[in-house]
Amino acid sequence: MKLELQHGSRSRILAGLILLVAAVFVIRLFYLQVIQHGYYVGLSTAEQVKRLTIPAKRGLIYALDGTTPVQLVLNQDVYTVFADPQTTTDNSKIIDTIQKIAGGNAQSNLQEKLDNKASRYQVLATRITRAQADLIKAENLRGIGFQDLTQRVYPEGALAAQVLGFVDYTGNGQYGVEGGLDDQLKGTDGILQSVTDVSDVPLTIGDKNVNIPAKNGTNEVLSIDRSVQSYAEQALANGIKRVKATNGSILVMDPQTGRVMAMANLPSFSPADFTSVTDPAAFNNGVVSAPYEPGSDIKTLTLATGIEKGVIGLDTTYNNTDYIKVDDRVITNAFKGQTGNITIQHALNWSLNTGFVTIAEKLGDGSTITKQARDTMYDYFHNKFGLGTLTGIEVGGEVAGTVISPDDPDGNAVRYSNMAFGQGLDVTMIQVAAAFSSVINGGHYYKPTVLAGTVDANGAYIPLPAPSPLRTTISKATSDQILQATQTARCTFYCRQDKPGYTIGGKTGTSQTLVNGVYVDNQTVGTYLGYGGTDTPRYVIMVQVSGQNMNIEGGTDVEPIFSDMSNWMIDHLKLQPKG
Amino acid sequence: MAIGGRQSQIVLDALRTPMQAVSGTVRRHRPDYLIVLYMGLLMLFGLIIMYAIGPQRANVLNNSYGSNYSDTYFFVKQLISLLLSLGAFVLMAIIPFAWTLKKGSALLVIGIIACAVLAVAGWLHLGIAQESLGANRWFNLGPLGSLQPAEILKFGMLVFVAGFLGTKAKQGKVNDVQGTLIPLAIITAIAMLFIIVIEKDMGTGIALTSIIVTMLFIAGVQKKIGITLLGVAVLAGIVLIIIAPHRLDRITTFVQGDNTSSSDSSSYQIEHAKMAIGSGGVFGVGIGNSVQATGYLPEAINDSVFAIMGETFGFVGLVAILALFIGLLMRLLQVLDHLIDMRLKLLVAGVFGWLGAHVILNIASMIGLIPLTGITLPLLSFGGTSMIFIAAALGLIFQLSRYTVHSSRLTEGSSYEDTRSRRGLGRTRYASRRSS
Repeated sequence: MKLELQHGSRSRILAGLILLVAAVFVIRLFYLQVIQHGYYVGLSTAEQVKRLTIPAKRGLIYALDGTTPVQLVLNQDVYTVFADPQTTTDNSKIIDTIQKIAGGNAQSNLQEKLDNKASRYQVLATRITRAQADLIKAENLRGIGFQDLTQRVYPEGALAAQVLGFVDYTGNGQYGVEGGLDDQLKGTDGILQSVTDVSDVPLTIGDKNVNIPAKNGTNEVLSIDRSVQSYAEQALANGIKRVKATNGSILVMDPQTGRVMAMANLPSFSPADFTSVTDPAAFNNGVVSAPYEPGSDIKTLTLATGIEKGVIGLDTTYNNTDYIKVDDRVITNAFKGQTGNITIQHALNWSLNTGFVTIAEKLGDGSTITKQARDTMYDYFHNKFGLGTLTGIEVGGEVAGTVISPDDPDGNAVRYSNMAFGQGLDVTMIQVAAAFSSVINGGHYYKPTVLAGTVDANGAYIPLPAPSPLRTTISKATSDQILQATQTARCTFYCRQDKPGYTIGGKTGTSQTLVNGVYVDNQTVGTYLGYGGTDTPRYVIMVQVSGQNMNIEGGTDVEPIFSDMSNWMIDHLKLQPKG
Repeated sequence: MAIGGRQSQIVLDALRTPMQAVSGTVRRHRPDYLIVLYMGLLMLFGLIIMYAIGPQRANVLNNSYGSNYSDTYFFVKQLISLLLSLGAFVLMAIIPFAWTLKKGSALLVIGIIACAVLAVAGWLHLGIAQESLGANRWFNLGPLGSLQPAEILKFGMLVFVAGFLGTKAKQGKVNDVQGTLIPLAIITAIAMLFIIVIEKDMGTGIALTSIIVTMLFIAGVQKKIGITLLGVAVLAGIVLIIIAPHRLDRITTFVQGDNTSSSDSSSYQIEHAKMAIGSGGVFGVGIGNSVQATGYLPEAINDSVFAIMGETFGFVGLVAILALFIGLLMRLLQVLDHLIDMRLKLLVAGVFGWLGAHVILNIASMIGLIPLTGITLPLLSFGGTSMIFIAAALGLIFQLSRYTVHSSRLTEGSSYEDTRSRRGLGRTRYASRRSS
């Protein structure tokens, strides 16, 4: 293929031109394909590789009905109807159709929205059902589109609202179990990454295709018992109404497992309608997220500490003068007149603060609350009973509260004398109830939980194994004494409220509240903490009621709620009375 | 007699020059098989790429237009075009070139008539005139496919002008304005009227311009006249660009480069052609793995096939394709340079200009060096008419390669070659005693 062109011929010039152009082309191709290769691969990938998220289905939430899961939270596909005002033509027909089919879900100012020609996206109706969407689609309206999303629906309405929490518009769980177990409920979205053709149809070309299936969220079965929860909410509402208070909380748990059977607070909200809530405080599950000074119910824990450490017994006597001096402070009893040499049991029955400050002193050198006494109390209250620490319950927004350490300058003798009768420490009801459960169940501390199991993809209930205690708080012997002491204490005033033949014990609490750092005398929080059962306690109930500028008494005001709930629990659990 | 009449007379006189003068002095010898080799390899490349992207192309069309093309539709159609092209090649290689050259004026007239019929049919909206992009460019021949009469016209011009200008050159009248250049300009203007103004086919117009310019160049037109002609051509080009908005758009797009919005179709095409070529890398993504062919790059099987090949075969493949084209063009120059008769030289020059213009303009626009021209890549692009005619032209050149002479004879004018010096050397490419 030797080329022989005449010297100086015009074909030689043409050949030269062609070779010159070819050289330019080769240089340009080298630039595009070798030097700029990465840049163009990037451009191509950006355009050709589409990444689709396969949304994971959020797990459902069940409650228990006895031992059978019942659905509390379901998923439902709903649709948002939107319009592109630049492409809509028959606006009056669109308005008629949307108003007729979507009804209350239609937006109010449709005409105005459709007239907004500058916009390309106007929402006309929200949260309509698939059936409604199909009806609107059938009208073949120009410029109308649909977006589907999943929303939570609540077949039981507002039941257990603050246990459940809600799912916000971005799909994140907020408050309650939705918040606390968001990761598990949410699952993991799948990824479908594919090279697609120009019409987004996936191709099987190349190595950029990825297909990770979605991992749906876990269907959680709560230990919440639908009937117990329902009755607890009713009992709390009635009790609050009776004393004309505004706020209250109730907790029912199984002291033998730590499982919460009911948990409710007022005011509450409806999760399906969470957007209408004006005060976000209503979202809070106060049982786990509102620490307070619980008052005299803590005396049961002081008593347990004293007995366990061997410094007192129930029949240990002390001289009650209704006053006791700690450092420069004088602590008085709320109930006065039970003076003289009285037993600790007597002090518990009448909730005499002096008796429990005495126990604190006995944990020290007998007359003062020494560092050793405070260390012991701190070890029991904080480390063993878990006061002032997060319990790890699966409800979002748990708050630890505060139990001041003796190493802290504020952790002085006055502080610890107050703590002995339930003041000067900030703890949540779930902490107190879990601690209390351990001192009446033989000394086993169970982590409080709202979980009972899961439901698998086939709908089968898979219960969690029976929980084992996290730690031992006190001995069985001490626990037996606390059982006895709390029954006696309850019976001093409230025996007649209880069905005969059952083991019912409890302790009141009426705590002063701090307003701007000062204890005020016109606002107390009333608490009742008790249990019921036969040979062994089967339920622990803790109720708390308060109101702005209201003195709520643990005994007269709150105890009736306990009695109501407790008697109902005996029927519900079908407990057999002792012979 | 009017000027037009006198000039027709000039033209007709030129064509009556006896043909035996052309070939009688040179004996037939072995043709230049490299022409067949290069053409065949290019066609094979085209066939492979149709096989590779045909299914994607069919899929894109079926999705967009609800048509029902099978996966092998484009491959089979290309194969048929290829066989027809080979047929045209063989035919033109066999039909004595003297006869072809003699029929130049007839071919030109047929081409003009075909174009005129198409224009009228299009104006009357007859079904036979296939409308596309606002112009009637094709005859719809039903199951036989479509035929672009501009190709006949172009081919007719090639043969006719070669004969006319070659004869004039022999008479030493190439630079005769009255006798040669004005008649040529009138004929060219008539052809351009149909191709560019009526059919709005800038690509064919550029190819025809290139054919004429190359011929003039080889025929030995004076520099002064050449520059004047070039000036006129550039001026005409500018006018044509300005009167057609889509051409102006392409220029604007090119000048503005990547800054134009992607909604602009010509910038979209150039950008995606560069993406296809660039993402091919050194060795390409491999046969059947082109993503640009799945609908991103417009005209993937036609004008943009070079870009798809760049994505598929990479830098190596494109350089190979470019080398084949350059090789083919060089063979044409080789044949051109060793022919004696100016009319034959000009035939080859015309084909060189035709092929060269297509290759350079197509590739240059695909790699972003010039604005989009909408011109096919010969032998590789999908499309029957263009490939058949280019193959026919190459067949003609192949035949002419049998009548080349040794370089030594070219310097001796038209006298017989002294073959004594090469006796027994066995070089059969050029006429020698051994070849008869």
